[in-house]
Amino acid sequence: MIKNSRDMKLKNIIIPALLILIFISCRKDWLNVNTSPNTLPSSTPDFTFAAAANRIAATLGPNELGEYWSGHWTQSSTYILSNTIFGYGFNNTNFDYWSGYYDILKDLQYAIESAGSSGPLSYFGGTSRVLKAYVMQIIVDLYGNAPYTDALKGLGSLAPKFDDQKAIYEDLIKVLDTAITVLKATPLTSVYAGSDIVFGSPSGSAATKWIQFANSLKLRILMRQTRVAGRDAYIIAEINKAAATAEGFLPNGLDVGSNPGYVASAGKLNPFFETWGYNAAGSIQSLARYPRPTTFLFSNLIATKDTFRLKRLAYPIGGPEANPYPAEIVANYAGVPFGAPSGYLSQNTSYIGPSQIKKGEFNRPMILMTNAESQFNLAEAKQRYGASLTGVTGTAQSYYEQGVKEAFRLTGTTATYGADKATTLLTSGIDLADWTASPDKLKAIWMQKWLALTNYSGFESWCEYRKNNFPNIPASASTASNAPRPVRLFYPQAELASNGENVLAQGTIDVFTTRLFWDVD
Amino acid sequence: MRKLVLLVPSLLFLLTGLFAQKTTVSGKVTDDKGITIPNATVKIKGSKAGAIADNDGSFILSVSAGTKLLVSASGYKEKEVDAANNMVVVLDLENRTLSEVVVTAQGIRRRPKELGYSLAKVSNTELTVGRSPTVAAGLSGKVSGLLIVNANNSVDPAVKFNLRGYRSMSGNNDALIVIDGLPQPPGSSTMFNLLNPNDIESITVLKGGQAATLYGSQGVNGAIIITTKRGQKGRLKVSYSSSYNVEKINIMAEFQDKYGSGSHYATSWTTTNVANGTYKANYLDRMKDNWRSYENQQFGDAFDGSMRPLGRTLADGSVFMQPYSAIPGIREDIWNTGYTLNNQVSVSGGSDYSTFYLSAENNASEGIVPGDKVNRTGMRFAASQEYGNFKIGFSANYVQARYNRTTFNFYDESINQAAHIPLPDLRDWRNNKFANPNAYYNDYYNNPYFRLDNYRQRYQDANFNGTLELTYKILPWLSVFNKFSAMNNVRTRKNTVGQFFHSNHAKNVAKVPVPWDKNDGSGITRALTDVQGSVSDESNTENLINNELQLLINKNFRDFNLKGIVGVNGYNRKTKNVGISSASIVVPDVYNVDNRRGELGGGESNTEERKYGYYADAQVGWRDMLFVHSTIRHDASSRFYKRSRDYSLYAYTYAGVDVAAVVTELIPELKNNVLGYAKLRAGYNKNGNDNIALYGLDPTFGNASGFPYGNTVGISVGNILPDDDLTPEFVRTLEFGGEFQLFNNKLNIDFTYYTQRSEDQVLTVLIPATTGFTNLRLNVGETKNWGYETDVKIQLIKKPKLQWDLVLRGSINENKVIELYPGVKEFQVSGYSYAGTYVMQDLIYPMLKATSYVRDELGRIVIQTANSASQGHPLITGPLKEMGRVTPKYMLGAGTTVSYSGFTLATNWEYRGGNYMYSDLGRQMTFTGSGKWTEHRAPHIFPNSAYLDAASGKYIQNTTIMTREAEYGLWVDAYRVIAENFVAPAWFIKLRDINLSYSFSNNLVAKTKVFSGITLAVYGRNLITIKDKANMYADPEFSFTTGNGIGINNTDQTPPVRQYGVNLNLNFK
Repeated sequence: MIKNSRDMKLKNIIIPALLILIFISCRKDWLNVNTSPNTLPSSTPDFTFAAAANRIAATLGPNELGEYWSGHWTQSSTYILSNTIFGYGFNNTNFDYWSGYYDILKDLQYAIESAGSSGPLSYFGGTSRVLKAYVMQIIVDLYGNAPYTDALKGLGSLAPKFDDQKAIYEDLIKVLDTAITVLKATPLTSVYAGSDIVFGSPSGSAATKWIQFANSLKLRILMRQTRVAGRDAYIIAEINKAAATAEGFLPNGLDVGSNPGYVASAGKLNPFFETWGYNAAGSIQSLARYPRPTTFLFSNLIATKDTFRLKRLAYPIGGPEANPYPAEIVANYAGVPFGAPSGYLSQNTSYIGPSQIKKGEFNRPMILMTNAESQFNLAEAKQRYGASLTGVTGTAQSYYEQGVKEAFRLTGTTATYGADKATTLLTSGIDLADWTASPDKLKAIWMQKWLALTNYSGFESWCEYRKNNFPNIPASASTASNAPRPVRLFYPQAELASNGENVLAQGTIDVFTTRLFWDVD
Repeated sequence: MRKLVLLVPSLLFLLTGLFAQKTTVSGKVTDDKGITIPNATVKIKGSKAGAIADNDGSFILSVSAGTKLLVSASGYKEKEVDAANNMVVVLDLENRTLSEVVVTAQGIRRRPKELGYSLAKVSNTELTVGRSPTVAAGLSGKVSGLLIVNANNSVDPAVKFNLRGYRSMSGNNDALIVIDGLPQPPGSSTMFNLLNPNDIESITVLKGGQAATLYGSQGVNGAIIITTKRGQKGRLKVSYSSSYNVEKINIMAEFQDKYGSGSHYATSWTTTNVANGTYKANYLDRMKDNWRSYENQQFGDAFDGSMRPLGRTLADGSVFMQPYSAIPGIREDIWNTGYTLNNQVSVSGGSDYSTFYLSAENNASEGIVPGDKVNRTGMRFAASQEYGNFKIGFSANYVQARYNRTTFNFYDESINQAAHIPLPDLRDWRNNKFANPNAYYNDYYNNPYFRLDNYRQRYQDANFNGTLELTYKILPWLSVFNKFSAMNNVRTRKNTVGQFFHSNHAKNVAKVPVPWDKNDGSGITRALTDVQGSVSDESNTENLINNELQLLINKNFRDFNLKGIVGVNGYNRKTKNVGISSASIVVPDVYNVDNRRGELGGGESNTEERKYGYYADAQVGWRDMLFVHSTIRHDASSRFYKRSRDYSLYAYTYAGVDVAAVVTELIPELKNNVLGYAKLRAGYNKNGNDNIALYGLDPTFGNASGFPYGNTVGISVGNILPDDDLTPEFVRTLEFGGEFQLFNNKLNIDFTYYTQRSEDQVLTVLIPATTGFTNLRLNVGETKNWGYETDVKIQLIKKPKLQWDLVLRGSINENKVIELYPGVKEFQVSGYSYAGTYVMQDLIYPMLKATSYVRDELGRIVIQTANSASQGHPLITGPLKEMGRVTPKYMLGAGTTVSYSGFTLATNWEYRGGNYMYSDLGRQMTFTGSGKWTEHRAPHIFPNSAYLDAASGKYIQNTTIMTREAEYGLWVDAYRVIAENFVAPAWFIKLRDINLSYSFSNNLVAKTKVFSGITLAVYGRNLITIKDKANMYADPEFSFTTGNGIGINNTDQTPPVRQYGVNLNLNFK
């Protein structure tokens, strides 16, 4: 071997250096880089509640479908007619709202579990329970039996079994009871006010409003069951219980809306506005040409001379960007027959109106529940149960008239055309508008409720239609006049593929005949 | 070699340092290329004394003056030389195939006869024969068992490398690419795409897990090891090479040229419409009703040459009138002719103890998509120096590549324009009023040239990579070696969309002129949305460091030779991506996010992963004819690490053993005139694989959609639920093979059979959404993968002036899903809802599934009989049906080289087959009515159809029921949605490359006094492609993904091209 001093030096340097390298690379701790720097390891109930509430508001699908299937809207023939919606040619891969709602429920469940039972954050345990009941009712109203007690457990139950729909309904009332208890105990601390995107500001009255919302939600759940035999006593007792709370139902003028602070930026506008209205830069969206108010909606409004509200629910032909813009006279408003496949191009028909879409007004709250709905529910409850509802002090007529007024307020009819417009309608002497002139009070309530829900709560409107079979929505022009209409949706393909046994245990689902428990005829 | 025994005492003699009164000479043994030959025997002539050169070819010997040495090495001819200090002994090959040292895992050099596993080598000459600017295209078809999917032919092509099929159902199956010792992360081909193929010395492909064990879990899918040039000893060599080639469309999808713009405007067939007479009975009349001046679909009436308007009346009152007839060649003319210009220079040289290599390259290409281009400039420098027992080497490479491409789907836009639209005349959308988006005829698809210009992405890679190697020889049989490699890549990108506001005339006033207005309402239906313009800017950096420290042992014990490595490896990869964006710009043409309305968009993503491993590799050779080789490795990966997790969950050990037996030497009687050499080999090994998404152990919590809104934060629970006990997955491989030389080396055959089993894979399976999650990540499932490979080399003619070689490389691969997650029979890998690739229990994967025809027991297509608009149309099945595998079952490569005098003709062909493809282009072309197959628009009997006879309950051959509305509905509503129509056998034969070169004779060149060699070549790539008749759409090799779910192509892949060009190569004196 050749040895010289230079090599020796190198050797002296290299070998220890390499040994150090070995030593360093052996330390297990060196591997400790497996915590994602991109996502959070956990969340807090306030943040996760806000995420869930916002996503509930942004889930347009069921409301959109409801607007169609309750006859408020149809589509223009600028787009090829959707056979899934207007020909009822859908299967278990269409309208999968299931997965999205359970995803939201997981967030709510996380918020409930992490909120604890004391401390300021437990407030969000209360609000999350209210929304849990809100979402779970939608799931039942879409699909009937659904996983509930066994759901959202992760590895705890990888194939959640289904619960009976009626039992879920009953439990939701209990969930709301717990929510009310929690909210009574814990007011909203102003530090967390920003996370309550529904009632957070002002924070002082937020808990009260949530309790009122919870009571009105109970009312929605209970009133859905009025046609189920043998439920009256239960319904009366529960409504009385809700009415007996100091907070009561949603007070006049208070709608339930969610607003995280929409800003003029793509993906951050009011989702309704951004989908069928304008983009962040103020250009009208292509999809503004898609949904169209039905001729049926217009004829019902015109029949009761309710034309001022009509101008809030719709834009004249050509829409808000028409140039020149047509005069806002009834002659310039053209609806589309429900399900008409052709002949109604977008430029020749009315657009969804300023009650929801007005250029520049991208930051309106998304409505979760209208005040009018609560009023009409009270009206129907009082009409049905009268004196048995000891806690509900007003008359059916007073709630009915308040409901109409709330609808006029929310659509902007009052602000634009004057406060007398609602009164004019209510004293018009016309059936289904004027209480005293309406022989069938329930039908009047249903008609005005159906109108009030337009553009805001399409899904609720479709539920009402399934329950009441009123108003007489015409058959889709794309189907035979006596064609059956869907009464529910299929369990989605994804659930069938991964939880097959439990889905199949629900029996064969026929979307035209397998009715929900509250849909008795 | 048996004389080796005699040498051992002298070796020991040396070691003990008991020198006789002699001088010491040292030297080195190399081959004719200057590559060192390890373990050569150096004997003193006429004596029993001598030495064995070390792993690096160096030897030291004590000799008397004037001694002659006999130097020999297995596979080389023995040579007699005079002993001298610092001598370099160059040995000539006895038999190149067997003896040429190959680089295996971790840069270990071995002779092929020693190897107990399958390995392939591709030389620079083979790689660059077609002058491909990228390595991937040059490698296709040149290694048996290596599937290279050239997924598209854009200026920045995506490529997939796969060895021996698929092992993992949902994880990575791509071969590991190692460039100069630096393992490239899966899915990241940054460095690979930037490599100049000419800088590559050789590529070694280690097909099985055994060979790749030394690379740790990343080597489970086999490895492609690229060694770049390091320079050679000898005089200075300077060479210059320049090539220019053009590329043109090779295969167009099949288009119809009979019908112009139109859609379903004619009154539909309904009983009511028939009764009241609004439905026109003659399809020709309905076609006339279907014609529209502004349609993207092509279901109008037949071309008749009449003058008709395109679109609507312009603001100035003019109307774009054009003849209503197909423009010949229009479908091809809208694409450009691409070109590539490549210039490069290299300088190399070295003395006995040093080498260097220097190269510079510029490659400029323009693609067939108008405006798409790339420019790559790079430099490489490598050098080595020896100081006695110490050797230092390094290489450094810097490359910049600039890409300028559209983000827009030009192909899709172009098939939405009928054959009578004079598209090439409409390129100048700024000045040609009819080409301007305000007046462009098409209501639904804009002017494709406007879109090309308006939607751009410009990105640039700046890549530095380098290695530093230190070797120190502690003892003649023991060295320590350290290799440090690093790579740093920065990609900066700017995507822009230009602002365009439509005029009020375009939006609200423009109408189709009378008499062509067809009662289409009072105005326009154009879904025009103003383009606000946008800009996004991002920067991605990647830092990769890999260090290998090894002790190398090479020692002889009597008849045995031990070659061993003990090593430790550390690996660190870090990436950072930061981007900012704005969805609208204020001042046109200024693309900076400061020039915006609304909020600034953006985000960041960081990753880091680390691994370390200890390994040992030992090969024991007996009399140079029997070799037993085994490896063991212990790895720990950060992907499975958590402080709270047990060591066994993130660290794993695996091992393998293989045997190589040269049977013709073990049993010399086998050797005869026919069989000159035979080797058998067998191997078994188990490989661990940390096949899990980064940070895949934790449930995630991310910003919910839209959040934050100002100060309002919303955080959502993630949807993937990881199992607590996740561990790496293992693959077990069994491999057998043999190598045979026949007819005096005129025929070489190499044969391999392998089988692999992969258990407890890390799968992310679908779970019910009602659990609160959508997916569960766990260890489950099992697959089997097996196949054959064979390489045949034939020397057809070998004469001084004329040589002709033929190489055939064939392989067959099969796999099967043995077990899936309980209760799960299949899951989708990629694709669409109507056609996709799936993993299915008991079947090969990925399996192509598609919506299909309903067929009777005779295979006839069942049609609708009900009296409706779709009477006579084929029925569609509900569930998707299996169509076949998407990875090729058979692959065959054939290369041949003929040399005569100074001429050389080299060609490489490749065949792949046994697989299927789905083309969404076909579906799109059916929707638009541009596909040739949609030409049958007269009512007709659907071919090979049958219907159910209600009375008998039997299927009856259809001879009576005509297709109703074949001018539109049949195609768009029925044929289009049956995805089976666009499934075709994916076999192809391609002439991958052809090269005819001429080297000017030495005499002629010598006269120039400047050059030592001049070579002129003409070459072509993909000049010929033969594909299945049923594939009327695209190159069957194309794929919309380079992930596991290949076999599906769409309009994102442009039509395939062929390239031809000329190359000049100059070597200077």
